[in-house]
Amino acid sequence: MTQFKIPVDLIVSKLAEDAERVQNRAKKASEVLLSDLDAKLAQTPYDIVYREDRVTLKHYRPENGIRYKTPLLVVYALINRETMLDLQPGRSVVERFLEAGIDLYMIDWGYPTRKDRFQGLDDHINGYMDNVVDVIRKSTGVAQVNLMGICMGGTFSVIYSALHPEKIKNLVTTVTPTAFDTRKGLLHVWMKHLDVDRVVDTYGNLSADIMNFGFLLLNPARLMIDKYVGFMENMDNKTFVENFLRMETWIFDSPDLPGEVFRQFIKDCYQGNKLIRNQLEVGGQRVDLKKLTMPLLNIYGRFDHLVPPEACEQLTRHVGSADTEDICLDTGHIGIYVSSKYQREFAPKIAGWLKERDQIPKKQSPRKKTKAAPPSAGLKKTVQKTKPVKKNTPAGAKPESSVSGTVTRKTNG
Amino acid sequence: MGEKKENAFGFESMVATWTDAMNAFWGSLAGSAASSAEKPGTPPETEKQASSSHLDAMGKALKNWQTLAAAMSAPASVGSLLKSAGAMPELLAQFAQSAMSSFLELQRKAAESAGRIGASVEAYRFENIDENLFHVWTDIYEKEFRQFFRIPQLGLTRTYQEKLNAAADTFNRFQSTYTEFLRMLVLPFNRSLAVMQDQMGELAEKGELPEDSQVVYRMWIKVLEGHFMTLFQTPEYVEILGKTITALADYSHAKDAVVEDMLHSLPVATRTELDELAREVYELKKCIRKLEKRK
Repeated sequence: MTQFKIPVDLIVSKLAEDAERVQNRAKKASEVLLSDLDAKLAQTPYDIVYREDRVTLKHYRPENGIRYKTPLLVVYALINRETMLDLQPGRSVVERFLEAGIDLYMIDWGYPTRKDRFQGLDDHINGYMDNVVDVIRKSTGVAQVNLMGICMGGTFSVIYSALHPEKIKNLVTTVTPTAFDTRKGLLHVWMKHLDVDRVVDTYGNLSADIMNFGFLLLNPARLMIDKYVGFMENMDNKTFVENFLRMETWIFDSPDLPGEVFRQFIKDCYQGNKLIRNQLEVGGQRVDLKKLTMPLLNIYGRFDHLVPPEACEQLTRHVGSADTEDICLDTGHIGIYVSSKYQREFAPKIAGWLKERDQIPKKQSPRKKTKAAPPSAGLKKTVQKTKPVKKNTPAGAKPESSVSGTVTRKTNG
Repeated sequence: MGEKKENAFGFESMVATWTDAMNAFWGSLAGSAASSAEKPGTPPETEKQASSSHLDAMGKALKNWQTLAAAMSAPASVGSLLKSAGAMPELLAQFAQSAMSSFLELQRKAAESAGRIGASVEAYRFENIDENLFHVWTDIYEKEFRQFFRIPQLGLTRTYQEKLNAAADTFNRFQSTYTEFLRMLVLPFNRSLAVMQDQMGELAEKGELPEDSQVVYRMWIKVLEGHFMTLFQTPEYVEILGKTITALADYSHAKDAVVEDMLHSLPVATRTELDELAREVYELKKCIRKLEKRK
């Protein structure tokens, strides 16, 4: 019979040590939890410069003056809130953009209620987004704005740029799903079999609680168990507790998703994969990605379980632009924006990329439509290659060598 | 012969006695009502007229009951009553049989599943998901009980009763699907614990059993995560997830219909009415914005 070598004495003494440590931690934790905790989000000051229904436009002004000719509009997803980009002082993408001197605008989609259930993609993209772009163009006197989209907001931005290319100077997409025919992400697998009509017809909007429960189910071991075990282990650490609460506040501060947006997004994108195939129609217009001719920077996370690289990386191959760049960072869906490491790399990379393309625009009447730039004649001669990033550092940008990932760039041959 | 004898002292004679007694009771009651109506009274003319019309009505009603009781005491009616009474135990037996067969089916499938517990655990593999275990509740409900909620309803309250039945039916269906869904979510826990037992056994054999409980926890959470990730990709999970969401939506829809019926009697707007209003406002706003942009 096999004799197991179990160090019982060591295990017992370890358990005794653990028990003592837990007791001490619990004592300290009660002091921390009863103290004043700073878990506020979005503390960078801003002005609300436009309001339409539940949608507002936030304007952030750089303290040391604007150093970019073209303002940047950030479009967040309709799922969760844009406050993630401004988690806390010192850990804020907004702060990094302002430090670089970007004139920054951000859409706050607000909290849709039952009356918003009929608003679809057309209302958000050709309605609210277009109005916001016009407001910025009018107030800043530029013909085009820079557009940056995040996740579903990135998909909106791609659609908008293809439908209104004359209004967009540069497009930045981050963790943006555009090719939905993949089995890599669980959302892509699950959404294929969802009876979306039944859900929307019954509930009107998609409840944030149901959505959040779905997100938790993507990884219950980590999100429903390990995360809180980690909290219990660190609840005597005030900074940890504050950061944890901040993220917890953000994660569960979720607006409902307007029903018609959900219906169209699931049917046309997740189930029909129409966007990348140029078959999507929004407001009666076909979305042709070849009309997306402005420079495009496409950033995504290698370990993103919500929007896997396979859903993001195809975009640059399908657009009409001759100036595209893919950056795949070694992080997940949220890590790009909230991890201190990636914030140091990601926001300056975008700032540098925009600076490089920030030529002085002609001052035009914002209402006057400018003709979209024709696709570059050299499009077919474009080179698509993976280069060591260090060699391609653009002037004025932080050296790309600090970006932990892969860069694929397409330029005129 | 024996049967006849049994009937003479049994249920048949009891029913005959009861119907006769009923006949006599309603007859005497109708007679006394009629005689009280004929008694000289003191009330004024209008009151007298009103009370005599009441007594008339009562007399007629009692007469009706007497007729009914007389009809029931007729030998043919007694026979038919006895027949339907005889059918009752049969109906009850049928119902009990249906419930019992469901219970036995459940027990059989549970026993089959229990037999598999001892089988070796294949880590990160969910190809052989025990379907019996997951479909048993839904199958039993669908086959045995659902039909009762589909019995056609009649009369003035038909539509309301139909909606109530639909709410009860969809609730039961949601419960059975949800149970299946939850049972599937338990699978990774079972399997990860079994894998952990194997791994701990191996480590113990090598004398490398971790002293720190943290190390064991990290091992387990990694194994559990792996099992969840594998399960979530399986067609069985995707199917039951879709079914659960649809079943919940069906139940919510049916429940809302019942609530809306109740709200109709109150001076408040229903959700459907508000939705119609919201749609009109939405369409009007859209028109206005289009016109504004054309300017």
